[in-house]
Amino acid sequence: MNRSAEQQMNPLREGLSTRAVPQPCSIVIFGATGDLTHRKLIPALYNLAADGELPPAVAIIGFARRPKSDDDFRKEMEEAVRKFSRQAVRDEIWKTFSQSLFYHQSEFGDEAGYKSLAERLEETDNERGTRGNRLFYFAAGPDQFETILKNLKAAELNRAKEGSWARVIIEKPFGTDLASARELNRIVNDAFDERQTYRIDHFLGKETAQNILVLRFANAIFEPLWNTRYIDHLQITAAETLGVETRAGYYETAGALRDMVQNHLLQLLCLVTMEAPTDLRADSIRDEKVKVVRALRRITGSEVAKNVVRAQYTEGAIGGQPVPGYRQEKGVDPKSTTETYAALRINIDNWRWADVPVYMRVGKRLPKSATEISVHFKKAPPVLFNKETVTIDQNVLVIRIQPDEGISLRMLAKIPGTSLRIEPVKMDFHYGTSFGKASPEAYERLLLDAMSGDATLFARRDEVEEAWTFIDPIEEAWQAKKDAPELYFYPAGSWGPEAADDLLARDGRPWRRL
Amino acid sequence: MPAAAEAYSLGVPVEIGKIEQELKKLWREGEAAMTRASLMNLAIYSEEPGSLEKNTKLAAEITENHACRSIVIEADCRSEENRVEAWISAHCHVSRTGKKQVCSEQISFLIKGGCTTQLPSIILSNLDSDLPFYLWWQGGLHDPMDAQLWEWVDRFIYDSHGWKDFPAQMALVETAQREAKQRLVLCDLNWTRLDNLRFALAQFFDHPASHHRLAKISKIRIDFAPGFRSTALLFVGWMGAQLNWEIDEVRSSRELRFTGMSGRPIDVELREHDGQPVHEIALTSDDVEFGVTYANCGDLLEVSRVQTGEKRVPQLMPAGNNDPVGLISAELIRGGPHQVYLNALNCVRDLL
Repeated sequence: MNRSAEQQMNPLREGLSTRAVPQPCSIVIFGATGDLTHRKLIPALYNLAADGELPPAVAIIGFARRPKSDDDFRKEMEEAVRKFSRQAVRDEIWKTFSQSLFYHQSEFGDEAGYKSLAERLEETDNERGTRGNRLFYFAAGPDQFETILKNLKAAELNRAKEGSWARVIIEKPFGTDLASARELNRIVNDAFDERQTYRIDHFLGKETAQNILVLRFANAIFEPLWNTRYIDHLQITAAETLGVETRAGYYETAGALRDMVQNHLLQLLCLVTMEAPTDLRADSIRDEKVKVVRALRRITGSEVAKNVVRAQYTEGAIGGQPVPGYRQEKGVDPKSTTETYAALRINIDNWRWADVPVYMRVGKRLPKSATEISVHFKKAPPVLFNKETVTIDQNVLVIRIQPDEGISLRMLAKIPGTSLRIEPVKMDFHYGTSFGKASPEAYERLLLDAMSGDATLFARRDEVEEAWTFIDPIEEAWQAKKDAPELYFYPAGSWGPEAADDLLARDGRPWRRL
Repeated sequence: MPAAAEAYSLGVPVEIGKIEQELKKLWREGEAAMTRASLMNLAIYSEEPGSLEKNTKLAAEITENHACRSIVIEADCRSEENRVEAWISAHCHVSRTGKKQVCSEQISFLIKGGCTTQLPSIILSNLDSDLPFYLWWQGGLHDPMDAQLWEWVDRFIYDSHGWKDFPAQMALVETAQREAKQRLVLCDLNWTRLDNLRFALAQFFDHPASHHRLAKISKIRIDFAPGFRSTALLFVGWMGAQLNWEIDEVRSSRELRFTGMSGRPIDVELREHDGQPVHEIALTSDDVEFGVTYANCGDLLEVSRVQTGEKRVPQLMPAGNNDPVGLISAELIRGGPHQVYLNALNCVRDLL
């Protein structure tokens, strides 16, 4: 969202682009043979190249343990791009793009591997004009972060030369609790300053997530209503039909709360409830987001059972197909108590949101995949058409994050006829219908931002740590040996346990039907 | 709605006074299978005989990516008859999600005689309310033009490439802009043709370490296709306006000399031969040559920067589309004013 100083200084850029310009750089991917590199990173970089968005000089260096030549790596990546790219691969473009792909074989813990990497980067700067700029992408497991960071520091790759930059992109999980997050941040910040650190949350790279701020602050009609006076409650749902798939090892140690709520859903909550920033600089927006997380009322001790529901799916059916229960999934402990579903009742203790509960639910093996935010407005006064004897629905504004990105508004209308019958009608805006242009993948946008030095859509250290201070007491209550809140069960293909419905029913509200 | 679904057909003939009514009927009939979408009004005006069919085909292609109400007009201003015929139709495309057909409506008019009097009333009474209004005027402009119309136009699209008398036509465009009481953005497709070329050249100078090269440009060579001299001149105008150059000397139709801010001369060579409208640009700054040229495949640009003694590492970038649909699509996706265009134009106005 920022225009870089460089862009403003290049007079030929005027009027050509409203986004910050990415700069020539070498991108080093740690974990180059992994799933993320194959499925997301290299396809994203290819798409950027095909759209002419990559800077003129770029080198992409895959760093991994397995022995492999540059050509082997290029062939492997070509297969991946042909399989996972959002646009068809064009041979001419691939040929040029693939010349910027290189492979560097080394163990993560081998100091010599980093020294030779430093030499290789120097050579690349001279040969390809990457100008000493380095972007290190950590696509390896978090258990490798410390080793990689220490070695980068030892090889002095964490410090850029005068006029150049070095940045690091870190994938979640950003720790498993506050203590581990702080430790991770300490380790990261020991090698890279906070301004060099980009914590990626791919939800923030989605077009609809970015549109939340536009919807709120570019349309004068919403903001006056966006407070406790007019809003009854908010609901945030992240539902998926998929089960744990191949991620059992990670998921068993994480669960829905850590995997989704601590990062993605709290980020969405921040965007929808934050105050207007003073400007669109990265820190102005992140300052406002972190205030929201600080204002979240902590749920501790006996309050956890009252305000949070955890559950696990049992066998059932999705789309008519039978699916196993979580405990029967490959790699899952048959006695696992890991939650695959969580529902929370959250309060934001600030002036704007006092007495407006936020209901959040996330779950696997639910009937449909959908992520959305719904804003439920207070009902009109119970007079005239809204007499207490008549059931009148609320106005609901729905922001659909995925799939079928868009916004809808439910309002009431008179059914044509001589009698007075009122029914809800929906005004619906679909991105896919209105704009023919396909949105770039979240990783495309985020990689470009990191190359441009725009950290707006990346999580800052204090955001991450504050989020853990909210999550930790809930996890502690769940892990308590005595009086731990119950783990509920729900059949795969249902909308979660009854206890989750009760969470809202106690307040006289239902979950929105998706 | 069988008539509406036919590709490139003008659709159902309608009475002028019943257009909205007939459109409603059209949507009611197709409601279950179709979604109507519209983000803007796009009026396409032409005086070329047979343009109604040609522009209906263009509208069908444009609406694949830009949902709009298209108002396609063919005018025979010299006709002694004084009548208007109208048709309604819809252009439907399967949405990206593949679930529903997304449709944009088209109203077509054939105007015989009395163009200047009939045109504003026809357009203004058929705009989809609250949506921006883009007017694409094909061919030359007339004098006098109706001031009432300009007050409603948000973006005025034309192509100066085909103008025979540039100063006279530009004077009419500028009159329209003055008469418009609200902001009217001038969108010259001749300028849009240069978008990707400008982008390709500009990116060489993004890095601060490259900025000094702009002040040391000594030579530009532009290769253009016959009939696209004005496009090549607009490119030169862009460089000149953005870098504060002034025309020093017009040596011939092929050679110009500018003076840079520091008094340094910049020689411009314009070479005409077959190919894309502007198919190659070579810029020299000290010992570095920056090149932008069309790759063999035709829809990619090959960009390269070569310094004496260095290996050439060409890169490919999208070249965009020079056909009318490509140019209009590029224009429709953009918002905001075109101040850079006006600056470029002013820099080379006397040469056009």
